[in-house]
Amino acid sequence: MTEIDQQLETFQQQFGLVKDEVAKVIVGCDEIIEGVIMSLLANGHVLLEGVPGLGKTKLVSTLSDVMHLKFSRIQFTPDLMPADITGTNVVQEKPTGEKYLEFQAGPLFANMVLADEINRATPKTQSALLEAMEEKSVTVGKRTFQLDSPFFVLATQNPLEMEGTYPLPEAQLDRFFMKLKVDYPTVASLHVIMDRTTKSGEPKVSRVLGQGEVLIMRKTVRAVPIARPVQDYAIRITLATHSTSPLAPPLTKRYVRYGSSPRGAQALVIGGKIRALLKNRVHVSCEDIRAVALGALRHRVLLNFEGEAERIDSDVVVNEILEKTPEPS
Amino acid sequence: MSDKQVIIDSLQATERRIRVNLLIRDISYAFALSLLFPLSFKLWDLISPFRATTVVVVHALWLVGFLSYAAWRVTRKGTLAQAAAALDSKAALNDELKTAYWFINNPRPSEWVDAQIRKAAARAQRLEVPRLYPRSIPKTAYLAVAMFITTIGLNFVPLPWNHNWLVLQAAPAYELSEQERALLEQTMELLAKAQQLEQTDVADRLQEIIQQLQSGDISPSDAAQQLEDIAGLLGDNAVDLAQMYAGLNEMAKEFEKSEQLQDAADALENKNLAQAGEALSELAEKLASLPAEAQKDVEERLKEASENDAPGLDDLKKNLEEAAQNLQEQNEQGAGEALQKAAGDLQKLGQQIDRMKAMQQAGQSMKGLSQAMLQRLQSEQQQQAENGQGEEGDGDASENQMPGGEKGQPVAGALPGSAPAPGSESGDGGGLEPSVPLGVTSQEEGPPTSLDVQLEKETLTGQHDQGGKPDEIEEASKQERSKLDYRNVESDLTPAQKDLLNQDRIPWEYRPLIKSYFQAIKPPKQPTQ
Repeated sequence: MTEIDQQLETFQQQFGLVKDEVAKVIVGCDEIIEGVIMSLLANGHVLLEGVPGLGKTKLVSTLSDVMHLKFSRIQFTPDLMPADITGTNVVQEKPTGEKYLEFQAGPLFANMVLADEINRATPKTQSALLEAMEEKSVTVGKRTFQLDSPFFVLATQNPLEMEGTYPLPEAQLDRFFMKLKVDYPTVASLHVIMDRTTKSGEPKVSRVLGQGEVLIMRKTVRAVPIARPVQDYAIRITLATHSTSPLAPPLTKRYVRYGSSPRGAQALVIGGKIRALLKNRVHVSCEDIRAVALGALRHRVLLNFEGEAERIDSDVVVNEILEKTPEPS
Repeated sequence: MSDKQVIIDSLQATERRIRVNLLIRDISYAFALSLLFPLSFKLWDLISPFRATTVVVVHALWLVGFLSYAAWRVTRKGTLAQAAAALDSKAALNDELKTAYWFINNPRPSEWVDAQIRKAAARAQRLEVPRLYPRSIPKTAYLAVAMFITTIGLNFVPLPWNHNWLVLQAAPAYELSEQERALLEQTMELLAKAQQLEQTDVADRLQEIIQQLQSGDISPSDAAQQLEDIAGLLGDNAVDLAQMYAGLNEMAKEFEKSEQLQDAADALENKNLAQAGEALSELAEKLASLPAEAQKDVEERLKEASENDAPGLDDLKKNLEEAAQNLQEQNEQGAGEALQKAAGDLQKLGQQIDRMKAMQQAGQSMKGLSQAMLQRLQSEQQQQAENGQGEEGDGDASENQMPGGEKGQPVAGALPGSAPAPGSESGDGGGLEPSVPLGVTSQEEGPPTSLDVQLEKETLTGQHDQGGKPDEIEEASKQERSKLDYRNVESDLTPAQKDLLNQDRIPWEYRPLIKSYFQAIKPPKQPTQ
């Protein structure tokens, strides 16, 4: 067995361990779990969208339990201020009576941050996450603090309650590696949930992955090669999300206001690499690109007024792009 | 063999396999599609036959077109990248070979890339390309074969107007009618019979004329003229034959006078020259045993018979005379030999007469054929002239429609003795038949009929002879106009609104709508104080 094969096996094994542990608590959300772990390994962040009660927060908290990572939770509310999440300088007094300012780190200073109901906070507070999410640093006053690696934001939002919420700005949305939609569980899944949660005792999970292992897995992901034709396929898909592009299918031309940024193409390629490793391959295929396209692009396709008025789902647009974009031959 | 080489070899094998399969498929499809052309052309030929030139040109074009496509298609090759993509898709390899091939062409110093190529090579070695791309005959190939057989089979459809292109048959420039064909066949039979009796080239000549006519090398009138000439030559035999019969009758009368020559006389009277020859031969054998008186009688009869003036009987007369001379000299052996020769002459003469009869009958048939053709041409010209009279100025006599559905050579005016039709070549004037001036049909129809009675022109009441003047019309219109002056009806609209409504650019159907709009937005009237 070569070194590459060993890396491949280790990656799959560790990924499987995490997934299995989370699945002990979260039932019927294999794709969501996989997407969340993929986002973590891609050095990205994930936005979970779903109606209340589907286990979004539980998923994130379980994931934090499974990993030896520092976890913090921020409940976003309308009165939440940026300093509440980044931290602030507080006046401290030395034993000598001398007073000084000391920085009290906010909840952002963790490896995994759960931004619960992120759309309830004001854009000002939401924007406080921008620097942390993209540059993995927090600037307070004149000082910039580097965040520990890995830094992973899991945000949740509720699509139903629009009253008193603030839609995420486009720049913020673009910083999420994936947007995953949590659907209602099936009957079989509900049975399992009932069995697990209505009896005495809850399933316990154990920590199976540490900070160092996550960083190694991230490195492994980046090493997977991708051929230019496949990369070209990912780029063409990304370009097809722009209504002005000649590659855009009719639905895009009609309903899309803004298409994906290059971050979308990056998400396609990195997501494809992770999926390739999970499928025991050392190369990325077009199928991998297609498999991650919905999660990577749905929040990056911004609909125009007509699309909003006709309640067009961005998933429909992305699916049509995937259908109309030919594979390289 | 290196991993890269394994992949390249596998891709090359796949590319060849795909190329051949696609080639078979495309060629079959193209062949089936292109066969629609000759098939429909053949079907069309069954309705309206084409001439040989047209058939050859069309088929040559079709063949050149198809072969050009086939040659272009054969030279088209796929790339190995395409083969890799096809193989990935076919064997569900998730772009493994495509990626490997790309990395082979764009090497990267990476263990992962090497591992990828190694895995791809192992996979490529396990692939069975012939099983993935089996050779198969496409359905279109069966269709093409069926269409090809149909096209070939249509040549053998037993229809009188069908032409078998496979044996280089095509519609002639001039097609013989049923009557003409029957006459021709009869003539050919007679000529063949004559040819058996004596070598003659008349049949060949006739065949040649008909071929030239059908291929359009000579006009129907020329052909008719040539047939007439040959028929005239053949008819001359009739005179010789009559004179020969007359001479033979005279001989028979002479022979009747002798008892020994009675059989020969009877046979000659019955025009059975072979039997007459046999009778003379028998007489020659028993001549020596005849009494002297009988020999004398035979000698005199033979001598009298030899003094016949009829042409064509020279050898016979000479031998009869020789036999008589020998008998006179009591040389029975010499007389017998001379009589045997005369018997042989009679048999030859019989064959000659048969040949001349056949030639004579052939001449008559040929003349009938010639006349049938001339009559047909005349009727066609007549019809053409009538049509030309009906569509004066539109006709073009140089484009006469020939039997067979195609444009043939000009026939009007080429007919000997016929008057030139408008726009056609002038005739030579040497007609075989008293012809009617076909080109001048108006003289046949005579001057137009006119009435002697002149009807008086009647003026209708209520009509102006010179039309009304404009002012009179205006006056009449005023009288018809309503007495109610609509112009003074009070309108709610302002002058500006009226102007707007009267603008031409507002369609009529929208004017009520605009008017109602103005009325709707008009402020309510103030109550009058």
